[in-house]
Amino acid sequence: MRKLSLLLIVSLLLSLGAGVAQAGKIDDIKARGTLVCGVKDSQVPFGYVDEQTKQIVGFEPDICAYIAGKLGVKIELKPVTSSTRIPLLQQGSVDLVAATMTHKLERDDVIDFSITYFPAVQKLLVKKGTVKALADLAGKKVGSVKGSTSEKNVKTAQPACEVVSFETYPEAFLALKQGKVVAVTTDAPILVGLKYSDENPDNWEIVGEDIAAEPYGLGLAENDSDYRDFINKTLMEMWNSGDYKKLYDKWFGPNTKFYIPLEWKMEIWP
Amino acid sequence: MHWDVVYNNLDYFLWGAFPKGPLGGLAMSIVLALLGIFGAFWIGLAAGLMRLSRNGFVRWPATVYIEVVRGTPLLMLIFWFYFLAPILFGHTLPAAESALTSFIVFTGAYVAEIVRAGVLSLPRGQMEAARGSGLSHVQAMSHVILPQSLRNMIPSFVNQFVSLTKDTSLAYIIGVDELMRNATQVNNRTYNAPTEIFITVAVLYFIVCFALTSFSRRLEKHIMRYQARNR
Repeated sequence: MRKLSLLLIVSLLLSLGAGVAQAGKIDDIKARGTLVCGVKDSQVPFGYVDEQTKQIVGFEPDICAYIAGKLGVKIELKPVTSSTRIPLLQQGSVDLVAATMTHKLERDDVIDFSITYFPAVQKLLVKKGTVKALADLAGKKVGSVKGSTSEKNVKTAQPACEVVSFETYPEAFLALKQGKVVAVTTDAPILVGLKYSDENPDNWEIVGEDIAAEPYGLGLAENDSDYRDFINKTLMEMWNSGDYKKLYDKWFGPNTKFYIPLEWKMEIWP
Repeated sequence: MHWDVVYNNLDYFLWGAFPKGPLGGLAMSIVLALLGIFGAFWIGLAAGLMRLSRNGFVRWPATVYIEVVRGTPLLMLIFWFYFLAPILFGHTLPAAESALTSFIVFTGAYVAEIVRAGVLSLPRGQMEAARGSGLSHVQAMSHVILPQSLRNMIPSFVNQFVSLTKDTSLAYIIGVDELMRNATQVNNRTYNAPTEIFITVAVLYFIVCFALTSFSRRLEKHIMRYQARNR
């Protein structure tokens, strides 16, 4: 019994050591011939399953495909959830994570981030003509989702409002339709999705100053600066060549259901 | 109501992206449940018999396994194993295999207790008579005790397996493409038909579980004819 447990501990340590002692990520990826990307599979239009082809498509898979193209390797998409994306990256199951992940300092302790590739901001979804700005929310009820950062942010930005939390965003939107809340608040792309889920999207509008910034960055393995430099350079190249705008317009442009004007500039190093 | 959403995605709920992609949907749930049931039965049988052993070295590991697993939520086991596997095996296990292993380990512990209860429920005289007629302990177990007690265990087994079938929905948390996950994908894409989608999911699970219990009722009737009890 004791020998057995000793053997188990030794093999555990060995495999741990093997996991740490890796060559550069770029060499790994090129040797393997595939870039494994963790993406969302249920977050329209960032990453979702297409109704016709049944494959994962979206803005983030396209960014991953661009990076894989630059590396000259094939791409493999692996669906991740908000709770699995960081551990999977840490253990090396995925090479990068493009899954609507906000670049937060606390996350930076365990993984690295690229520069921001999508600057989500928190806004308000309201019935047309009722609420114009945060100030109008004083003493009113605002809907959000349990445990989300949006819930906390709106309370900080407008302490006089009452936050009502729901399980999912569609539920919060239903409450707005029934007049139980006067606004729903979260990242703008999600609000746009909610708005267009209604039969008459024109009845609703997205308003308000930016309540909080949620800059999305690509999650990368910790402490591999060659790899991170490569990803950052690739993102900047993408912006400078206009490929970023093409992709952005494909998913968020004026001809899509998720129209969000391109009002920001990527951080470009000289 | 938006039943058209369900209608348009019914094939996705039933078998996912198959054959253009990996198997998913209800088909994947059933595959997970069947493989899980198969694995859990043999693990449970072994652990249950080990726990009945008079030899401490055999009995103890089984007891620890059963107690630890029974004291752990399945959701946590799935999550935990998904992240432990790469450390144990040195390479990552796909989400589906990882979830399946968790199901087998989890359900195996419950099956072990069913097996133990089933064997203990037989009168002691059965074992004594078998040994008395010259059979070894192993022979007596496999030819006399288990054939009788396994029959008695069928209702409990079915109970456990129906429960496992529904529990496959928990694999959704690590991103396995099964019915629950696919339903969530569609729901988050369409936004306007959560009620219709999840009613469909509930009906699909019910059909599978009902088929399983109906089958077991027939099996029980069939087998009970051969058992002399309470006569």
